[in-house]
This record gives sequence, C-alpha cells and structure tokens, in this order.
Amino acid sequence: MSETYTLPVGPLHVALEEPMYFDVRVEGETVRSVELSAGHVHRGMEALAMNRNWLQNITLTERVCSLCSNSHPTTYCMAVENLAGVVVPERAEYLRVIADEVKRIASHLFNVGIMAHLVGFDSLFMHAMEIREIMQDLKEGVYGNRMNLGALAIGGCRYDLDEETTAFMRAKLRELDPLLTELTRVYATDPLILKRTRGIGVLPMEEARRYEVVGPVARASGIAYDVRRKAPYAVYPHLDFEVQTDTAGDVHSRAMLRLREAAQSAVILEQCLENIPEGPICLPGAVFIPEGEAVARSEAPRGEVFYYVRSDGSDSPQRLKWRVPTYMNWEALQVMMAGCQVADIPLIVNSIDPCISCTER
Amino acid sequence: MLPFLKIMVKNLLAGPSTDPFPFAPAHTPKRFRGRACHDKEKCILCGICRHVCAAGAIQLRVTEDGMAVHWVLWHNSCVFCGLCAHHCPTKALTMSDDWHMTHRGEERFDQREVSFVPYGQCSQCGARIHPRPESVVQQLGSRYPERFMMCPVCKRQELARRVTPAKPSITTGESDERDSA
Ligand code: SF4
Ligand code: SF4
Repeated sequence: MSETYTLPVGPLHVALEEPMYFDVRVEGETVRSVELSAGHVHRGMEALAMNRNWLQNITLTERVCSLCSNSHPTTYCMAVENLAGVVVPERAEYLRVIADEVKRIASHLFNVGIMAHLVGFDSLFMHAMEIREIMQDLKEGVYGNRMNLGALAIGGCRYDLDEETTAFMRAKLRELDPLLTELTRVYATDPLILKRTRGIGVLPMEEARRYEVVGPVARASGIAYDVRRKAPYAVYPHLDFEVQTDTAGDVHSRAMLRLREAAQSAVILEQCLENIPEGPICLPGAVFIPEGEAVARSEAPRGEVFYYVRSDGSDSPQRLKWRVPTYMNWEALQVMMAGCQVADIPLIVNSIDPCISCTER
Repeated sequence: MLPFLKIMVKNLLAGPSTDPFPFAPAHTPKRFRGRACHDKEKCILCGICRHVCAAGAIQLRVTEDGMAVHWVLWHNSCVFCGLCAHHCPTKALTMSDDWHMTHRGEERFDQREVSFVPYGQCSQCGARIHPRPESVVQQLGSRYPERFMMCPVCKRQELARRVTPAKPSITTGESDERDSA
C-alpha cells in the first residue's frame, strides 16, 4: 500500500546549491510529479541596467552569473555593436572566442565535479576540481581574475596576448589534455558513477523538442543545436570543431557530453592560438550608439544566451533584456524527474547545470 | 571506484596542491587585477573613470575654494573590473597586483585611495583649467606647449590670431573670377 504525499524541497535546502522551490509529489520513494516555483533571488538587474550607461553595463552584465561571466558581456557587446553597426577587429574576435572557450572548459568541469559530489564520490569531485584549477590559473595569469575575466569592451577586447601569455596558455592546455582524457575515462567506466547516473533523469528527444531545451541538455537528447554552428558569430565559422551529441538523454550522458565539449574547447583554443592574426584589439575611440534596437545570441556553457537592447540615443539603454539557458531547461525537469527516486533529485537538478542567479537576475 | 584508485594513490603521493598561504607567499601573476592605484601626477581630472565605474566606487569632489579636487576610490565598493584603468586616458589609474584586502571592521572607512589633485591655471588669463601635469604635457602637448596650458577661451583667441592673415584680404565675387581666370 502506498500513499502519495507532497514533499517540499527548498528554497533553502541542503541538496540545493541555489534557492529554488520544488513541490515534489512522492509515492513511497518514487517521484510522481514536480512543480517548480522560482523567484527567490530576484536582483532587479534589468532595472539596474537602465540606470547605468553603456560602458558600465559591461561590468554589470559580467556579474550576472559567475560561471558564464564571459558569455553575458560578450553577447551584450555583440548586441550593442549590432545596434551601432560597427565591426570589431578580427584579432578581437579571436580574443573573445578564446576567453569564451576557457570559461566553457572551467564551467563544464565544475558541473561534472559537482555531479561526483552529489553521487557521494568526493575524492573524484576533488580531482575534477583540481583539474579545473588549471583553467583557473590560466584565467588568473592571462586575464587577472579567476572568475570575472574583464576581457570585453564595446568594440573589441581589453586584454591582449603576447608571446609570454600565449606560451603560458599553451603550457596549461598541454597540462590539461592528459588529465581531461583520464577524467573522461573515469566518468565513462566507474561503476559507482554509472550506477547512480545511467538511465536517470531521462529526457527523450520529443520531450526535449516540446520544451525547447538548449545547450548540453538538448544535445544530450539528440538535438544538435549549437549556436556556434547554427548562427555562427565571431570567428566560429573559421574554426574546426565538432558539435557533440548523444541520444541517451540521461544524467550520465549529459556529464559525458560536457567532458567531450571541454575537450573540443581545448581543440578550439589551440586553433585560435595558432591562427590569431596581428592587428588592433579594439576600435579606437568610443563607439556611438544610435537610436534603435538590436539582438544578439551566443552559446554559453549552459546553452543559448539571448540579448535584446533598445536605445533612445542617450547614454544608457532604454531597455536591456536577456534570456538565459536555464529558463528554457528547468521546465523540462518535470519530465526528467517524473518516476525518479527522491535521492536522485539533486543529481537531476544538477544535470541541467541550473544557474538560478542568472535566470532570476 | 576501481578506475579511480590509481589516480587517488597518485594524488595522495603528490601531497597537497594548495598554496600554504599565509605561511608562505602565494603566487601572484603579473596581470593580476588587484587594488587600484592612482597617480595624481598624471591625473587630468577628466572624470572618465567615474563615468565608467559601474560600482560607483570613484568620487570626484571639488574642494570648497574650488581650486582642487579630492579624487577618491573606495576599495570596498570596487569590484576590480579594471574598466577605469582601461579607459583612463593618461594611465593615471592602474590595477596593481596587490590582493591583500583584509582589514578590521573599524578600518572600513580607511579602505580608499585618496588623491588631492589641484586644478591648473591658464598661462594667459589665469583662469581655472583642468590640470596639465608634466607627464601629459610631454606626451600630448609637446608640439605647442604654451597653447596646451591655456584655457579654452585663450586657446581660441590664440588659434584665431594664428589663422588670420596679418593683412585681411577683401574677397569679392569679382576678384575670385579674376583669380581663377
Ligand atoms: S584617473 Fe584617469 S580617468 Fe580618472 S580623472 Fe584622472 S585622468 Fe581621468
Ligand atoms: S576597477 Fe571597476 S569597480 Fe573598481 S573603481 Fe575601477 S571601474 Fe570602478
């Protein structure tokens, strides 16, 4: 005999990294349905953005979220540049891609690390984080900060690579390569990881289409949607890399997909360091931003980031609006969680790599 | 666990991978964006740093007698984005690699970078102008140093004097035709 009852999880809960509220209807140990309610960390950033000028908003958008902290200002700058009708120098495009991919590797490693932690395999979690530390050192050495790179300016980039930093970056990538391969093998074969993550939180392709999920969540369910290929920006059309996909659509496949994507990012970085042309890194002088509206989108580690700007020709935006990947992905949790065990809830939530802080900004 | 065992043993043998700070110095890269430094010898009080600072960490306050400006940067408000240093035209503002920001609660209002930057004086009429520090004169004003030290009004007059020929020529439609003929 089993009874259905409602289990409230959150907004503050030991199993959750960020505040989110779930009303989980359980029958015994099995989840029957989930209702989500968000809005616990609203920061009013869109209103803030209207009170700051175009340049200040680079700093503001960079602080929307720490793990995709480069994707936000990149997309914001791209939107503003689209509005102003300027083309950034090619070297700056390369520098932007480099910064983005460095952040992607670090972000993906963080997520798979947390997965190991939630499985209860803390030594693997530590190991993944230590590998991620290579990228953190790289960021610190090249950009000057471990999280917020401060790489962007309207009309180009603020940092440049010289011989020394390029060599440093190459050395770090060489250091990363064997460790990442080894880590991928552990995640692919470890019995504990496999037992806890395979066949859990399954999101079939039709459901993924219905919920219009983006990023690794979509790609793990067989939808080869990557903005870097679908709507190429910066120098992605010139780069040779493979969009990773999988068909299993479970927690394990999403983690493996992230590891493979991190490896692809390393390939992209190598190519960029090889092909980066000489030239200016930023447009000279200030970019004039006329009246009008524009959009831009890019592929953040979690999926598609979309920015909309509207200007009345003044010093600050009249409207700045952005849509982040988690917003598309979390509704699909209802599918992923139905029929799972209560103990798997944190694992499934983590597998969409939710970023509540940027969704609720 | 098995595939991981080898890695675990290797990691155990390798020992801790963290810096033993504060017992030994922590590695700080050259490009690190730490606390901002202001060099008042280079500042021209253009206010661009304040304009770009999203955190509102920079204040420029004119003194009571109107002869100088208190330039203040609050370290506790600063988010170390480095945008001010990027946009400072004279590089008076730079990001240092000093990340030691710990302080006691009672010292929180001392956590600031303060400069007292006096205004300059027009070399002709003595009016108040933005400061023209030596380094900036050398960099930007070396071609016409005397004009560089003037207020906008005197500069305009000086320029007008320069471009106006000593004997004004009278131009009429006729004379133009004759010239071109
Ligand atoms: S520090 Fe630089 S940007 Fe700020 S007022 Fe002085 S010269 Fe201008
Ligand atoms: S580093 Fe950024 S936050 Fe700090 S004072 Fe400069 S502009 Fe403001």
